[in-house]
Amino acid sequence: MSAQAPPPVSREPAVAAAPSVSQRRAQAAAFARAALVDGVARLRSAWSRPRVRVASAALVFAVMGLTGTGWDFEPVPAAAAPAAPNAASPEASRLAAERERLQTALRLRVPRGPWIVIDQTHNRLRLMRGDDTLLEAPCSAGSGMVLKEGGAGRVWVFDTPRGRFEVLSKAEDPVWKKPDWAFVEEGEPIPTDPEERLEYGSLGEYALYFGDGFMIHGTLYERLLGRPVSHGCIRLGSEPLRAVYKIAPLGTPVYIY
Amino acid sequence: MRSQLLWIALAVGAASAAAAPPAVRSSDPTARALQREVAQMRRERELSTGKAFYLRLDAGRQRLALMLQGVLLDDYGTRGLELGVPQVLFIDRRPRSDWDLQPMSLGRLEPVRQRDRVEFVAPTPSTGPAASPLPLPSAPPAAKYAEDFYSVPSPYRIVFGEGVSLEVRSRGEGRRNRSLLRRAVDATGLRLSDIVSALGLGSRDRIRLRVTLDAEDAASLYRSLPPEVGLIVVGLPPR
Repeated sequence: MSAQAPPPVSREPAVAAAPSVSQRRAQAAAFARAALVDGVARLRSAWSRPRVRVASAALVFAVMGLTGTGWDFEPVPAAAAPAAPNAASPEASRLAAERERLQTALRLRVPRGPWIVIDQTHNRLRLMRGDDTLLEAPCSAGSGMVLKEGGAGRVWVFDTPRGRFEVLSKAEDPVWKKPDWAFVEEGEPIPTDPEERLEYGSLGEYALYFGDGFMIHGTLYERLLGRPVSHGCIRLGSEPLRAVYKIAPLGTPVYIY
Repeated sequence: MRSQLLWIALAVGAASAAAAPPAVRSSDPTARALQREVAQMRRERELSTGKAFYLRLDAGRQRLALMLQGVLLDDYGTRGLELGVPQVLFIDRRPRSDWDLQPMSLGRLEPVRQRDRVEFVAPTPSTGPAASPLPLPSAPPAAKYAEDFYSVPSPYRIVFGEGVSLEVRSRGEGRRNRSLLRRAVDATGLRLSDIVSALGLGSRDRIRLRVTLDAEDAASLYRSLPPEVGLIVVGLPPR
C-alpha cells in the first residue's frame, strides 16, 4: 500500500479583496453626489406643486413666529403734563422761555384773518377764522379724469392741485375764458378768435382765483356737489359761494389737501 | 496732503458740531424734559416753514393731525398708540433714545393707493355749423365718491425715509370694506413683510408706530393722504 500525499489546500480567501480607503471615499462621494442630484430633482418636482409651496411658506412662518422674529410692540403711555420751569434752575427757566417763544411762533403760523380749507377727497370746503369754522359746505373738486386729444396727442389730467394758495383776485359775474381742453372735450374746433372763447354764466355769480387758472366758482350742476366732477377748479353752491366771496378778502390763504 | 485732509476733517467736524443742537445732558430732570420739548418744537417750526404736508402725532393728547405750514387741516383721535421695534430671536433692536427729535419725511403709503382714472378720448372736432346757436352745456359724467375710488386696507402703513413707519389700524364699524380673501392676502403679506423687515432685509424700518383710529378716520386718512408727507412725533415719554 502506497501512501499518497493529500492535495495542497488553497490559502486564498473565498471573497474578493476589501477596497482600499481611497476607493471607499470615492464610492461615498459618488453616492452623495447621486443622492444630492436626486434630492434636488425631487425638490424641484415638489416645488412645482402649489400645496408644497403653501406648506413651505407656513413652515417658514411658524419657525419665524416660534423664534420670536418680527416686531415687538409696547403701548405708549400718555405723556405727563409739560414740565413746569424749576425756579431753582436757571437752565430750566431759560428753556421754559424758549418753549414759550416757540409756542408763540407756531401759533402765529395760523392765519389771523379768514382762511379756506378744501378737502378734495371728501369734497368739503371750510371757511375758517382762527380756530373757528365759519362755514362748511359740499364742493366739487377735480374728477381726476384723463382727456386725450386724438390728433395732436395732447393729454389733460383734471386734478385739483394740493398745497397752500392765496386768493389772487375776485370777480362778480365771472366770464369763463375757455381753455383748449374745453373745446377738445366737446369735439369742437379750437377757435382762433379770443372772443369765441368767452362763456357767460357757467361759473355762477362769483369766482375767487387762486392761481394757475384755478378758482373757486359756482356751478350749473349743484346736484353734483359733494362729488369730484370738476376739471380742477372748486365748484361751490351759490349760497356758500356768496358767503365766501363776502368774507374772504384778497390774500386769503387757501389750503387744499 | 494728509495733514491738509486732517485739517479739512477737523473744520467740517467743528462746523457740524456748531450746527447741531446743543446736546447738553442736564442733571435737572425738569430741564431735561424741557430740552426734549424745545428740540421737538424747533423741528416742528422747521417743518411748518416748509411746503410739504406733514402729520403731527401727539402721543400725549392722543391726536394725529394732518398739517401744512403750521395749519391744522384734519385731525383724528387715536384710540391706541404702540411703539414697535424689530425683534430677531426674541432680541429687540432698540432705537436711539432721541429718534423722535428729528422730523421724518417722504412718507408713502403701503399698500399703495390705487386710483382708477377714467380716460376719455376726445371726439373729432366737427367742422360744420353748430346745430343750435346756444347749445346747452352738457352735464359732466357723474363721478364716483371718494369712498368708491379707493378701497382701504387695514392695517396700512405710511413708511418714511428715515426708517420710521406709521402703521394705521382701524377699529369699529366699517373697517371690513374688503373681501375676506383680500383681507387674508393683505394680512399674510404684511406678516411676511414684518418678518423680512425685522430681519433687516428689504425695508429700512427700524421703528414702527402703531396707531388705532376709528374705521372712518383710518379710511379718510388713507384716501386723503398727500404724497411725500412728513411726520413729527411729540409728547412721547422719554425712554
